[in-house]
Amino acid sequence: MHRIWAICENAFKEGLRQRILIILLIFAVLILVISVFLGPFTLGEAPKIARDIGLAATSFFSVLIVIIIGSTLIHKDIEKRTIYTVVTKPVRRSEIIIGKFLGLFFLVAMIQGGMTLIQQLVLYIFEGSFDLSLLFALPYSFMEIMILIGILLVFSSFSSPTLSAIMGVIFYVIGHATPDIKLFADQTEAVILKYCANAFYYILPNLENFNLRIDLVHKLPLYPDQILFSVCYGFIYTIFLIYLAIIIFERREFK
Amino acid sequence: MDVAIELKNISRSFKSHFWQSKKEILKDVSLEITKGEIFGFLGPNGAGKTTTIKIITGLLRPDSGSIRIFGHPANTLEAKKRIGFLPESPYFYGHLTGYEFLNIHGRLGNVKDHKHVTNDLLHKVGIDYAADLPLRKYSRGMLQRIGIAQALISEPDLFILDEPLSGLDPIGRKEIKELIIEQKNKGKTVFFSSHILPDAEALCDRIGIIINGKVVHIGKLKDILKKGTKTDEITLEEWFVRQIKEEHA
Repeated sequence: MHRIWAICENAFKEGLRQRILIILLIFAVLILVISVFLGPFTLGEAPKIARDIGLAATSFFSVLIVIIIGSTLIHKDIEKRTIYTVVTKPVRRSEIIIGKFLGLFFLVAMIQGGMTLIQQLVLYIFEGSFDLSLLFALPYSFMEIMILIGILLVFSSFSSPTLSAIMGVIFYVIGHATPDIKLFADQTEAVILKYCANAFYYILPNLENFNLRIDLVHKLPLYPDQILFSVCYGFIYTIFLIYLAIIIFERREFK
Repeated sequence: MDVAIELKNISRSFKSHFWQSKKEILKDVSLEITKGEIFGFLGPNGAGKTTTIKIITGLLRPDSGSIRIFGHPANTLEAKKRIGFLPESPYFYGHLTGYEFLNIHGRLGNVKDHKHVTNDLLHKVGIDYAADLPLRKYSRGMLQRIGIAQALISEPDLFILDEPLSGLDPIGRKEIKELIIEQKNKGKTVFFSSHILPDAEALCDRIGIIINGKVVHIGKLKDILKKGTKTDEITLEEWFVRQIKEEHA
């Protein structure tokens, strides 16, 4: 376990010390602050708009950070040959993958936690009270981040950072469109299309499971079975992706 | 006689592009490195030295043949526990400081008192003054020193060093040579590749020469140096050049 923590610490510091991170964070905080100034432009929906934009900004910048850092997570180590001294130590390749996953996850979780805190402070300053119900979005967002890091680890284990980043974006977009795929599958008359659409729906990650924005902004009730399903789905899908990344990385040679 | 490294009939081919046919880089290479010796693996550029080292350390797999490290198959945790490896022209994590880098490698190498050992090693390789400096600010020589330090950190029984003396100034080379001899005196085995023949001459008990992927000679240095003439010894450089010319003739 201490070897996994050593890899995790390295991945965490590597991400934390990237300059792009600071730029993204400045933008994210600016958007959180700006969101409360949009009130006068809305028809009495100012509190909802501020919350919606705040949650969307937190999610968007977290995903952006995951894609930028995650796409180079393994590839950069191989390209720069920094991996040589790590894989030749008495370390299992699975420990390297798990350590990298945890390092990036803790980094993004910390950033998301920080952005959520800033959003609460902004709401307190402008509205005079916190909205703690928004904190429910955080664990759901962590699940989405876990799946995205898993996808990027899989692609980063064998392909270039550009391809990994593109695949990360594609999976993110499709992941949020899976309910539409299911709707299409249910409505189409063509048997082959129905079969394919259903297959896509069940294979691709359904990231809408972790989208609580509408529920929280409009104060809709959350049901325990829905929460349990999302948590189980998130963990099982992430474990599958990490396992896939390990299989690919174990077969990998370092020329 | 204990064997530290045993390579049996190793072959390995590569394709430089997927449309090209495979080129055989290693051809039936067999080597036995005895425990406690300093073995110099010499050869011209592209001869297969680094490929051999990568196969020993598990970075590459052979197409055929077998490798054992102190009796354990290569690339197993048991084998890797016994190895300290310095890659050629090492590149390290630029975002880490020298201390952080060594400390992480100590933990990967299961070193118990890793903080203490890290500080000791930084002092030993002469870069304790740069412990808090990010590695991206290190010079080539400093990187080579920290690379040697990470190889030493878990006190392995076998050191595999790919061009350990390149990029170092004369003082650095002298210090690293002393470190290598110190490891031998502790009963450790050192396998290193080098282009710098006078350094190999000063350090090695035995050498192996690889040319075009084939090991053409393995022997004790003192025997080789007497082979040139009946009466006078020749230098390793003269002998090496002669071997290569014969191989290409």
